[in-house]
Amino acid sequence: MNGSRWCVVLLLIVVCGCDSPSPTSEGIPIGEALGEGNSEGFARATEVRTFRFPRDHGPHPAFRNEWWYITGNLKSREGRRFGFQATFFRSGLRPSVAPSPSAWRTNQIWMAHAALTDLKRVVHLSDERFARQGAGLAGAAVGPVRVWLENWQLEQAQGERRWQLQLPAEDFELDLTLEQSAPIVLQGNQGLSQKSATPGNASYYYSIPRMQVSGRITQGDREHAVTGLAWFDREWSTSALSTDQEGWDWFSLHIRDGRNLMFYRLRTKGGGNDPNSGGSVSDGSGLVQTLGPESLSLTPLRYWTSEGRHYPIEWRLQLQGEPSPWIVKAILEDQEMALSVHYWEGAVDVIDERSSNLLGSGYLEMTGYQ
Amino acid sequence: MVSQTLLSIVWREMLRQPWQTWLSVVGIMLGVMVIVAVDLANQSARQAFLFSAEALTGKATHQIVSISNRGIPESFYRELRLNRGMRSSAPIVTSRVESGSEILQLVGVDPLAETPFRRFGAALESTRLAEFMTQSRAAILSRITAARLGLSTGDLLNLSIGGIPIDVRIVATLAGDNASALEGLLLVDISTAQELTHRNGTLDRIDLQLETEQADQLAASLPPGLRLEIPATRTRVMAEMIEAFQTNLAAMSLLAMVVGAFLIYNTMTFSVLRRMRLFGTLRLLGVTRRTLFYLVLFEAGLLAVAGTIAGLLAGIVTAQYLVHLVTRTINDLYFVLTVTHLMIEPLILFKGAAVGLGVTLLASLAPALDAAAATPIHALQRSRLEHRVRRDSRWLALLGLMLLTAGLLLTRPTAGGLSAGFTGLFLIIGGYSLMVPLAVNLFSHLTHRLPGSSALLTRLALRGITANLSRTGLAVAALCVAVAATLGVSIMITSFRATVSEWLDYTLRGDIYVSAADSGSSSVLDPAVRLRIHSLDIVAETSGGRRLEAMSDHGPVAMLALDRASGSHRGFRFAEPPVGEVWSGFDRGELILISEPYAFRQHMKTGDMLELQTPNGAVTMRVGGIFFDYGSDRGLITLSHSLYQRLWEDGGFSTIGVFLRPGVTTTEAIGKLHKLFGDASLSLRIRANRDIREQSLAVFDRTFAITQVLRLLAIGVAFVGVLSTLMALQLERTREQAILRAMGATRGQLSRLTILQTGIMGLYAGALSLPLGWLMSEVLIEVINRRSFGWSIASQLPFTAVAEALVLACVSALLAGLYPAWRMGQVPAALALREE
Repeated sequence: MNGSRWCVVLLLIVVCGCDSPSPTSEGIPIGEALGEGNSEGFARATEVRTFRFPRDHGPHPAFRNEWWYITGNLKSREGRRFGFQATFFRSGLRPSVAPSPSAWRTNQIWMAHAALTDLKRVVHLSDERFARQGAGLAGAAVGPVRVWLENWQLEQAQGERRWQLQLPAEDFELDLTLEQSAPIVLQGNQGLSQKSATPGNASYYYSIPRMQVSGRITQGDREHAVTGLAWFDREWSTSALSTDQEGWDWFSLHIRDGRNLMFYRLRTKGGGNDPNSGGSVSDGSGLVQTLGPESLSLTPLRYWTSEGRHYPIEWRLQLQGEPSPWIVKAILEDQEMALSVHYWEGAVDVIDERSSNLLGSGYLEMTGYQ
Repeated sequence: MVSQTLLSIVWREMLRQPWQTWLSVVGIMLGVMVIVAVDLANQSARQAFLFSAEALTGKATHQIVSISNRGIPESFYRELRLNRGMRSSAPIVTSRVESGSEILQLVGVDPLAETPFRRFGAALESTRLAEFMTQSRAAILSRITAARLGLSTGDLLNLSIGGIPIDVRIVATLAGDNASALEGLLLVDISTAQELTHRNGTLDRIDLQLETEQADQLAASLPPGLRLEIPATRTRVMAEMIEAFQTNLAAMSLLAMVVGAFLIYNTMTFSVLRRMRLFGTLRLLGVTRRTLFYLVLFEAGLLAVAGTIAGLLAGIVTAQYLVHLVTRTINDLYFVLTVTHLMIEPLILFKGAAVGLGVTLLASLAPALDAAAATPIHALQRSRLEHRVRRDSRWLALLGLMLLTAGLLLTRPTAGGLSAGFTGLFLIIGGYSLMVPLAVNLFSHLTHRLPGSSALLTRLALRGITANLSRTGLAVAALCVAVAATLGVSIMITSFRATVSEWLDYTLRGDIYVSAADSGSSSVLDPAVRLRIHSLDIVAETSGGRRLEAMSDHGPVAMLALDRASGSHRGFRFAEPPVGEVWSGFDRGELILISEPYAFRQHMKTGDMLELQTPNGAVTMRVGGIFFDYGSDRGLITLSHSLYQRLWEDGGFSTIGVFLRPGVTTTEAIGKLHKLFGDASLSLRIRANRDIREQSLAVFDRTFAITQVLRLLAIGVAFVGVLSTLMALQLERTREQAILRAMGATRGQLSRLTILQTGIMGLYAGALSLPLGWLMSEVLIEVINRRSFGWSIASQLPFTAVAEALVLACVSALLAGLYPAWRMGQVPAALALREE
């Protein structure tokens, strides 16, 4: 979602060289660091555009921030349940850079996050990487589409519908093939996703809501052959959270009936819903319904606390027109990304509240909790 | 133990002779000041070095460096990160840059790889990071350095990199955890560093955090030309580089202190001798020996406390100045180091205080015993004392001779190390000074026989010296030691300079030398440069040299790969006979040559084998000869360029020696070379033989500037001591001269007598200081240059230094006689006689 915020935080942290946990706990005023001057010269998402693929799978350096975001639920042959996340963030330091004979000169820096939830071992493992673009250390390219940060890599392989994710992290390794199994969904207004009332405070946002995953997860010397479903989000923008927004809760759910639901709730300070919240419902044939802030109601049911941050890890979700509310429930309480930026991102189950039947699974992301 | 009354007697004595008291205090103060100042300056330089080494290394456990000095291909860093998954790794590009007279170390880093190393603290805001990485000339300075250069964020800093002026913009200043650790660092993005130093595509170093196992694995799998090393080892090697230099300074300060201690001893002895009558009287009044002993010690203690406190304060102030001299020498000779912060180590102050108090009290011990030995009758009989002194002077001289011999044995070339050398030096000084009273006696007898010495005044003056040998012997000895110390240092420096100058004469065979303007070690000339120089018809021949740091089985060492011209071999002189056919063996790549300091440090001889690391693995080479070299105290290895080219796979040259055809002037040739290279000559350094020679000697003089300062301080200590001794001597004789006055001598005659007497003593001291000074210079050359640097120095006795010593001795003596002479004229005879 509004990842620009992260990237600013990231800058501060990388440079401070501190692995002290929360940037907010250090009192870094995010709004201040995100002064207008910072985004000057970068392109803005102001109007509807035409998306072309595979070109738009590649980088958009005219915009300040961009990410490639994959989350998914997997099962091994023995029935062992896993959740995984792989994210590549690009952040532009300046709209342009003078040409240089040095391969290190760049205006782009990269951050990548990876996580694995292993339900049997009851652990959530996470790892992160930073690198500058240049000298071949990190970057994104088209033809074929490839995004990499050192030895973490996501690339399109053998045609446009198949992707390969190779991610050797500190305590685990992901080696997954992702096959697109639903059409691309342009989020918001034909891919223009408004984040606040200010014009240009918007992003270009599309998803491949359903991908069939197969591959290997390695933990130490143990290897698991896994299959499952993943969600791939792509977003780029030069926008920031507005001053009255404090964070968001983002849901991406695969329902067994073939529906894919995405909804983000932008939280205003004090916990209210921002009118720019929204989402979509899609299925195997593409977009079914665009969701506005009123199309869906969310009620936190249970919290989990980490160092003073109260994350709602169980929600009641009532989709308009749905006969019964859904319970969206973390499969593991502690799926907090305790990296240089703290947020909660983890695998969830979707359960019918009335029948208690398992309806599906997905991922939940919660940021800005203090 | 010491009663109120006695204390008040001491106090009154001090007040009665304020000059004496003040001069003693000043003497002690100067001695303590020299020691404390040198120690503080040394310590601060060492600390600054260690801090900055630590700041630069950060938390790196290992470093990858290039053996060939061509740098590390940046693709290897990518391989480490991408293929070998070495996450805790950071690339570094570094260079020495100049800004006016300031030398800074340019350090290029990738901020995104710095996290595990944390070398620059937490300081950069996100907006600054963008500027730092994206702007082509953005740089960061430590807050202290910026303040010193009068810069703040946004200002331009003018640099000279490889002779080319470049401005960088200060985008931020860093405070860091330890501000002084970042002193003198100019931090830039790695892309900026590559652009500024024209080293695109290569890195100087890759810092790593590795477990031992990983390190072993990595070391085994490094591509040829790269080497894994431990930063602590490198830091140690660098620390060792400046160790010899710092030992020297400490030794010089010790020398000043020894002279100081000797003078304090004189002052105290004198003050006791002068008051023997008083002590005798006190004994008559029933004061015990023990009380007298403590009384003298107590008096010395008072002087010591006052002198020490003043010395500590003055030492801190002087150290501020010395630290600049020390840093400049380290910058000239060793590596970039900036020290602006004087670190006042309490231990050093404590040591200084201990030396000041300890030396004064020790020096007062003998006089205090003398005072205690005063018998009521004998003490009152001055003539008995003088008689005894004249008799004992022979025994003293014998004892002195023994000490002197022991000292000489300790300073033989084959004897122990530095400390043995200095012990020997002190024995020589002590032994020699014991021989002085006898020599003064002999001198006076000899002078008597000289024609013209029959004049009454002269006879009186000469007799006065022998008759008061207990005093005059001491005064001459004090002056002699002080003058000898400055003469010794002066001879040492002059000899050293002459040796270096001669070495420069024969070692710089070429008429003109062309090198890359960037003085960095990895700066190589374009291969076309030599060919183009050759194409000029004024050029007879060229030689080529490639300087770099190599790795031997003894650690890193400077290496020169030489493609010699027909006359180049005359640039080498061997310290010991080389192996037969040394030059043909050298040209065939069968022999290497090592410099004298290297042979000294590594205990190597001609014919020994030396293992060198090359990009093609280790090779063992035979040492064909040991040559004199004063360019580096760490040592130098020379091998033929063809051998270097084969083993290091590098055909480059860093310097080209140009030999002109007969009749071509250097100025004309330099003009042609500049024309030949046009704009490209900006990146070249074209220097005449003469200029290099002058610059080298300028560096030499700068190196010894601090020694000169210490020498001046030693002279100061000596002068104060001598002044106080001679003045006391003359003042003591007020009564004697009053008698002369009463007998009809005029005021002018008495003044002349005083001046004449001190002048003669000065002359004696000057003459006696010559052998001692020469001995000391021999010892200093042996101890300091051979034992700490391994340099051979041809000693020579410079006429100017000798004349300087004589003048110094006489002038000090005369100056010391002026005040008593003036006073002598003022005091009415009756008043002076009323002392009875």
